[in-house]
Amino acid sequence: MITLEFHDPTGITDVTQRHALRPPSLNGKRIGFLTNEQWQAYYALPLLKEMINQDFPDAEVLAIDAFPKGNEAIGTDETARRLKKSGVDAVIIGNAA
Amino acid sequence: MSGRGLAPDASMVVFPISLFLPGSDLTPLRERKQEFYEGLTRWAPAGGSAEPESSRMVSVDAATYEEAAVKAGNLVLANLWGDGLPVQPATKARVDWILRGSPLPRSHGIGKFPPRGGVATVEGCAIALAMAGGRPEYLPVLVAAVEAFLDPHSDSDALQADSGSVFPVIIVNGPIARQIRLNSGFGCLGPDPQHPAGASIGRALRLMQQNLGGALPGIGAMAMYGAMRYTNAVFAEDEEGLPQGWLAHGTERHGFGAGTNSVSLIFANGVTNIKRRSAIKETSEGDVLQGMHRIADILRGAQLGCLVGYREGTPGVLLIPQVVAQLMAGLGWTKHSIRQFLWEHSRVPAEHLRRSGARAWIEIQAPESLDLDPWPIASKPGNLVLIVAGGAHPTNAYWLPGCCPNVIGRPIRVPESFDCLIAAADRDIGCGSQECKI
Repeated sequence: MITLEFHDPTGITDVTQRHALRPPSLNGKRIGFLTNEQWQAYYALPLLKEMINQDFPDAEVLAIDAFPKGNEAIGTDETARRLKKSGVDAVIIGNAA
Repeated sequence: MSGRGLAPDASMVVFPISLFLPGSDLTPLRERKQEFYEGLTRWAPAGGSAEPESSRMVSVDAATYEEAAVKAGNLVLANLWGDGLPVQPATKARVDWILRGSPLPRSHGIGKFPPRGGVATVEGCAIALAMAGGRPEYLPVLVAAVEAFLDPHSDSDALQADSGSVFPVIIVNGPIARQIRLNSGFGCLGPDPQHPAGASIGRALRLMQQNLGGALPGIGAMAMYGAMRYTNAVFAEDEEGLPQGWLAHGTERHGFGAGTNSVSLIFANGVTNIKRRSAIKETSEGDVLQGMHRIADILRGAQLGCLVGYREGTPGVLLIPQVVAQLMAGLGWTKHSIRQFLWEHSRVPAEHLRRSGARAWIEIQAPESLDLDPWPIASKPGNLVLIVAGGAHPTNAYWLPGCCPNVIGRPIRVPESFDCLIAAADRDIGCGSQECKI
């Protein structure tokens, strides 16, 4: 019997930062958006905002353009700082960003 | 996300592409709103804690070596580790052999391959090179290419997933090119058993993009067509063919000293042959000028990938063969004057930009140029990468349109035993310094 042993080429991944913890509910929470202004985000994100407003009347849903827009801006440390400073509890990023 | 140390999975709601097209029906978004709410509240990552430091081994059992090789090939495909072509199993012995090609320890980390975030090490390079049929003397070039690829300024994290079928172009300078049998002449972007290094190195890089970076078609990589991706493009500048006074690309673009082994990484999204030679009896000056205009006409076909590198990158790579470079130099052309001519004559009339909707893209990516008429394809002539390479034949030039925010250079580091590796290659595959030339 021949055993042919070889390396798995996928390497290791190194997770050093956890994803943000989720709030138990959106009721009474502050929700923001980051838009890359691509792929019909102009239509999809306002619809999401409208639905959240309807289903969670106690939630504060910020304007779609409350934070920097566009692919080059939404992934920066500065944008992350502004989001954190604003006190949002959750963020939706779109579209296909 | 992987670049920030996050696990590669994320809370997302995925829709077919039809939802994202103009005039789309957003009903599916309404119907699945609960998934958004759960993503914001209940979602938790699947896992993603750090894994063992050394590479995992897998194995197959069979009655004969031939059967084991077939089983190994099947396992590679079943695990989505291959590219559809036969791969060589990256056995311990083979990887250890290839690791002789680097002065760095096998555990030396180079960076995380986006978007999945697999950690690239020298060992990982050797594994990929083993699968791609490579040899130890190719490893220094691959390591340098990966270093360039993972440079934050390369924008590889975005370009890995881009729909525009972007692929890395690695241009090698220095004596290492000839030593390892890297092509700079006939067929330099394609298969050549006389110059096998480029195919293996480029294929290894692609396997790392896929296996470490997760760039699987339609999953981690959205390239619609994916041309040139079996081997990417890895070739050498024809430094022997450079006219007097023309600097090598590595020196000119990156400041490497003459004779330094180096790589230069450029992202391109296509290839175009340009028939530059005159069809009839023509003076040398006429032949050159007509050819330059034909080249400019091709460059002017703004496919907008140039916008990515408009300011500091490149609109693309132009290859001209040594016979044409020598002819042009004899008529007084320099790399600078060639770039200047092509930059001026490839400018796009504003009306063409308006009717094609290109203005909207320019407004996003290069707004400072929006009002230029005619519109240049780069902020300055010097952005154009001009390389002497290709078969010694006057008929054609070659254009690789760019999608390249920055041209990244890296020196190549070889081990002290490199000459021994070259001697071993001469013994193993012959042809060494007496490679066939046409």
